[in-house]
Amino acid sequence: MGDVIVQGVCLGGIYALLALGFSIVFQASLVMNLAYGAQIMVVAYTAWWFSSSVGAPSWAAILIAFVASTILSPVIEWVFIRRLRGRDLLSVLIATLMLGTLIRALGILVWGGQAYSYPFTPSGFYEIGPIKVLPAYLFAFIAALLVFVVLFVFFRYTKVGLGMRIVANNHVVAQSLGIKVRQLIQISWVASGLFAAFAAILIGMTNMVTPEMEHLVLGKAMPVLLVGGLFSIPGTLVGGLLIGVAETLGGHFFEGWEQLIPWLFMLVILLIRPWGLLGKALVRRI
Amino acid sequence: MELPFGVYNTSFKQDLAVVRTKTQWVMLILLVALAFFLPAVMPRDWLSWYTTAGIFIVAALGLHVLLGLGGQFSMCHSALMAVGAYAAGMLAGSHGFPAWLTLPLAGIAAGIMGMAFAIPAVRITGFYLVMVTMAAQFVIIWVIENLRSWTGGNIGMSVNKLIFFGDEVGKVGFCWVVVAVVVVCVILVKNIQRTNAGRRLLAMRDNEVAAEVMGINLFRTKILAFFIGCFFAGIAGWLWAYQVGYLNPAQFSFSLSMKFLGMLVVGGLGSTTGVVLGVFAIQLAEKSTDYVNPLLSDILPSEIAKNLGPSMALIIFALVVILFIILEPRGIYGRVQRIRLWLAMHPFSF
Repeated sequence: MGDVIVQGVCLGGIYALLALGFSIVFQASLVMNLAYGAQIMVVAYTAWWFSSSVGAPSWAAILIAFVASTILSPVIEWVFIRRLRGRDLLSVLIATLMLGTLIRALGILVWGGQAYSYPFTPSGFYEIGPIKVLPAYLFAFIAALLVFVVLFVFFRYTKVGLGMRIVANNHVVAQSLGIKVRQLIQISWVASGLFAAFAAILIGMTNMVTPEMEHLVLGKAMPVLLVGGLFSIPGTLVGGLLIGVAETLGGHFFEGWEQLIPWLFMLVILLIRPWGLLGKALVRRI
Repeated sequence: MELPFGVYNTSFKQDLAVVRTKTQWVMLILLVALAFFLPAVMPRDWLSWYTTAGIFIVAALGLHVLLGLGGQFSMCHSALMAVGAYAAGMLAGSHGFPAWLTLPLAGIAAGIMGMAFAIPAVRITGFYLVMVTMAAQFVIIWVIENLRSWTGGNIGMSVNKLIFFGDEVGKVGFCWVVVAVVVVCVILVKNIQRTNAGRRLLAMRDNEVAAEVMGINLFRTKILAFFIGCFFAGIAGWLWAYQVGYLNPAQFSFSLSMKFLGMLVVGGLGSTTGVVLGVFAIQLAEKSTDYVNPLLSDILPSEIAKNLGPSMALIIFALVVILFIILEPRGIYGRVQRIRLWLAMHPFSF
């Protein structure tokens, strides 16, 4: 039982990491980057390809993955998303969704649809007192906590982070205040790419490297964000932990329910508090 | 809608007419006749392509009522199609209902399921609605997979052949059934836009708060939008069940829901003609992989060429939709309208 809860907490940490990386772009420019999952998938496959087919040492493969991810993410913004500025929510949403499909299909074309595991996945498990934890899960949880603290400080105390929040609120106002909107949005995409690499390596170690990683964002990160509240960084962490624990407990007691639980959790929260646990209610004006 | 030159509306009745001039009537009748005639002369693989396109038109029309007219995003359209298909399969298979009776019942089953998921939609809009409908997609498919005693789970369920006056309906005959259903559905949707309920949908799409202030009951209008939209999905599910003859949860994937969205975007949001154009455009683009893949597999190295099958259709589909969103947001229909305007005005630019 204790094992299950600890595993759930660690899983929740991974989900929170996913959701945080995704939410940077959203907080900076109100763009829901639904292609984020496909980005993660491509980065994970890149790392796998360099470490197993090319035969690079594992540190080099991870480094290459990080570099590739931080380049890929702003390129996506530069080629596609920039052209959609000022469009309604719907077309941006469909565009990023299709972009995700495109990237995923290209990934399948290049690497095939098989699942692989990293050669550098640490084996065995750590024993902390009576509780056993898989090392990859523990790393993931620690990384998620670190990212959480960094982002919390970033959006609350740094000039760039505060600027991003204004940009999200209103492009025109931000520009007239002397904020470089374009540059800030680029920075947010670079940061999001960096976190995508984190998520890709960690999830590649805890699960496998598969094309199904594309659905991580839709299936896990989105429910986490909505449960916690879209603009709330602490809310994301809370949502991630709640969903992670609920999912592992549900899977422990009822076989096969673990895929359903994040969605049910989200539906219930949206019925009771549509703005999320720690979010703020939106005011509608004509 | 632009009127041809020299034609003016002089009465309210003319103003309301969907088909206005004699030329339009002749063209329309010829088009419908062609649609009925084509299946008789088509080769086998194009016949099944044509039938599938017809089924997708029905489903996409439902999404058009929801999204194009009512402004309500739905990402669970293929799951509702599954509800209709399984309802038809179960009613006809284990309860012995005649197939023709299950057609409306399949629609109603999907409509009610859609209404159930629409209840949270009343309080939320935009992005949150996307998430609720996406949840609906996964929840419905999960339930179908896990209700093994009713639906056969992942193994699937076979559907009896369609019987018409004691004869089994063949491939061509079934294609005629699909074309007939498509024609009826297009007429229905064209007319929904002219009714009171249809105008309420449009008002809700354009500005929810303003519509509510004007005295439109948002709750009822949203529920109605979901019921009509999902009703069409259920009808499409019924057609699908009898076309494929074998149901499996994997057929109603999330990517199928996305495909319907893509069809609407490519055709042009908010136009019924655009739906038909969009479905044919996307289906043609995907069919083109049958001819492109052999060419590409000669050029590409063999490691990559073996993956062409599962990925090429998706790549072409996604590329087409992305290019349309970026370059022509009003879709094929918008482009056609502009070309017609240009032709009508020809020597002058406006």
